[in-house]
Amino acid sequence: MEEMILKLKQEIIEVLNLEDVQPSDIDNDAPLFGEGLGLDSIDALELIVLMEKNYGIKLQDPAKGKEIFKSVNVMADYIQKNRTK
Amino acid sequence: MKAGQVLITGCGIVCAIGNDKGQVLESLLAGRTGVGPLKYLKTGHTEFPVGEVKMSDTEMERAMGIAPGTPTTRTALMGMMAMHEALGQACLEKDDLPHVGFVDGTTVGGMDKSEQYYLDFIDNDSRNAYIGTHDCGSCSEMIADRFGRFKFITTISTACSSAANAIELAADMIRLGEADVVVAGGSECITKFHLNGFNSLMILDHGQCRPFDAGRAGLNLGEGAAFVVLESAESAAKRGVKPVAMLSGYGNACDAFHQTASSPDGEGAYLAMMKALDNAGLKPSDIDYINAHGTGTPNNDLSESQAMKRVFGDVMPQVSSTKSLTGHTTSASGSIEAVICILALQNGFTPVNYAFEQADEGVIVPNMKLAPDRELKHVLCNSFGFGGNDSSLVISNVSNN
Amino acid sequence: MYQTIDILSVKQISIQQPLCEEWMETPLTYTGDFVRAIDPDFKQFISAGEARRLGKLLKRALATSLSALNEGGIQNPDAIVTGTGFGSIENTELFLDALVREGEQMLKPTQFMQSTHNTASSLIGINTKSHGYNSTYSQKGLSFDSALYDAWLQFRLGKIRNALVGAHDEMSPVFSGFVSKAGHVKNGEICSEAAVSALLEADSGKPAMCTLKSVQIMNMPTAQELADVMSKISVDAIITGRSGNPENDSWYSFLGSDVPQCSYKPLFGVNFSSSAIGFYTAACCLKAGRIPSVMNAGNGAVPCRSILLVNVVEGRHYSFTVLEAVCGK
Repeated sequence: MEEMILKLKQEIIEVLNLEDVQPSDIDNDAPLFGEGLGLDSIDALELIVLMEKNYGIKLQDPAKGKEIFKSVNVMADYIQKNRTK
Repeated sequence: MKAGQVLITGCGIVCAIGNDKGQVLESLLAGRTGVGPLKYLKTGHTEFPVGEVKMSDTEMERAMGIAPGTPTTRTALMGMMAMHEALGQACLEKDDLPHVGFVDGTTVGGMDKSEQYYLDFIDNDSRNAYIGTHDCGSCSEMIADRFGRFKFITTISTACSSAANAIELAADMIRLGEADVVVAGGSECITKFHLNGFNSLMILDHGQCRPFDAGRAGLNLGEGAAFVVLESAESAAKRGVKPVAMLSGYGNACDAFHQTASSPDGEGAYLAMMKALDNAGLKPSDIDYINAHGTGTPNNDLSESQAMKRVFGDVMPQVSSTKSLTGHTTSASGSIEAVICILALQNGFTPVNYAFEQADEGVIVPNMKLAPDRELKHVLCNSFGFGGNDSSLVISNVSNN
Repeated sequence: MYQTIDILSVKQISIQQPLCEEWMETPLTYTGDFVRAIDPDFKQFISAGEARRLGKLLKRALATSLSALNEGGIQNPDAIVTGTGFGSIENTELFLDALVREGEQMLKPTQFMQSTHNTASSLIGINTKSHGYNSTYSQKGLSFDSALYDAWLQFRLGKIRNALVGAHDEMSPVFSGFVSKAGHVKNGEICSEAAVSALLEADSGKPAMCTLKSVQIMNMPTAQELADVMSKISVDAIITGRSGNPENDSWYSFLGSDVPQCSYKPLFGVNFSSSAIGFYTAACCLKAGRIPSVMNAGNGAVPCRSILLVNVVEGRHYSFTVLEAVCGK
């Protein structure tokens, strides 16, 4: 799981172009949106693309993303359970 | 007619509910939607209903007398159809055009061909002619050059308010005496590029779009073109042409909130409507009908409703979004909906908001009644674009003047 | 309505040193047919959080705009009007390339968002919280001229007291190949990039670079119509869009040889926003009171207090912009 979380953080940093952020800067339980990393609705859409591209998980409803992208831990957990690749 | 007035002496339209004004009027009166399964665009996304113009490129080329094999784009072809009808109604012929300006609006431009021939552009020289038709400006030139030598051509590209802003610039030119006659509006075909772009933003409804409905789930893409001929009163009198309507006012404002979302209080939309009313010298209560931007996305319709409530308070005029019939014709929507407003003024009816069922909190209830019922004096036409490029037009009846 | 429209500041990012006027004395010279702009350090204008979703064009548009606004002492301009021929072509191309090669799935919204041409004007609006007039033009090499014309009309109608007017074009390696195939850029010309933002204010009472007198745009004018336009204009010098490409340069032959003529394209290259660079150089020249020798093929400086800027696009669109030195200077 640890390894997967690190990989996920690197993927988030890359896809959202978070230039000055290191994986260690992202708290596993901190909210990704609003406070915490301060991501917004467009970032959520980019994360939906990431989920499909890297893990074969297709989200149809953007509202669902809000729950899944609560924190890196929640996201990793969801990926673990639902990944198809 | 007073000095400084901007008359509309002709208009032309092609969209999902008709290839000319007559057909569009008939569809409006019948409340018939043009949104349906994909037919002309080659895409894998067949799950999305769209409002396509019911003609192939080849059919449009034939209608416009374009020789087969001439490099052209669907956006340009639709523009030519609308221009042809507009010039005809305003009695403008080839010899008149060196005195006529042209302000076009488009964003997609020649992307339909670029997405088709992109690999050819890279790998070989077989489709180089279509590189030259890629940009927005070339599209306007193709439309203009089909008819003759216009005195002035430019292109506005403010996404979904492009055509409305084109009409605003044209009107400013007439008010300042920069030109006596200016044709303005917009044209845009559906492309894979922006169908996929809107899909990536997850704002496309998988069914018929339902503007202002509680269950609304996004927009349907549409396509088309429309142009209006704007003319000074002096010029119209001199040429002996009768106005079909009058552009009494207009406003442009920026929401300055987000690149793809509207602000919760609809500040940009509010300012655009207020500016348009002020520019027209009218009060909110003078407006008989609002053709809303009303895309059918949860965000737009709520934000626009808030803005309309701020302008009109408790006395809301009848409102409808004709995007429920035409689909969202993006850059062309401002002029397509302006022509729909002109048809409504001329024929005395309020266009219907198709597919509305259930009211939503904070959102206006649109007009759902079909029958032609009443005389309209002044109507407001809203067009909002990505980035908060918001514009409003006030179009008025001239039959009593 | 107003006495003068003062040009308070004009800022550029181009293939010359960015956000400064070093090119007037010591210009950079290039060989090769595709040269990208020299970017300044964007950190002084844009935070990392904001910059992460902005392509080059948008960063440059924001940097030149904020810099021009800052110098002119205005925070929220009454109008923001820009031009662009291709818009954010890098992101457009990324989206298009993925669409064509990888199919219609998993495409990136950030790339799509930037593909509409109005992102620069609206981004500046968002960044400066300016709710006023906001528009964007896309008419090939006439895009800036169209934006300037629009702003000029807004001034004349009394709708605005000041305006930020600009033009921004970037170029990707792939599309630069396309534009030379399409003939937008021809042999002997450098395909380049440019971002220019100008701040204009009516009767500003502030130190200005020069004043804007008039803007005129024509499509396919006849020789007689061109002669009529020229007969009404009296200036010390003309800045043209001559580039060294014979076909392009022949479009300027109607200007004759009575008035000294200079050009900016040999220094700044050719792109859809070139005429905005022309406007920038003219403002710099009027501020300095002379067109520098580097714009006169090295044949010495040309003193001037008024300049006609002539831009001819594809031999069909003509624009005429008259700028004058500030009175009494």
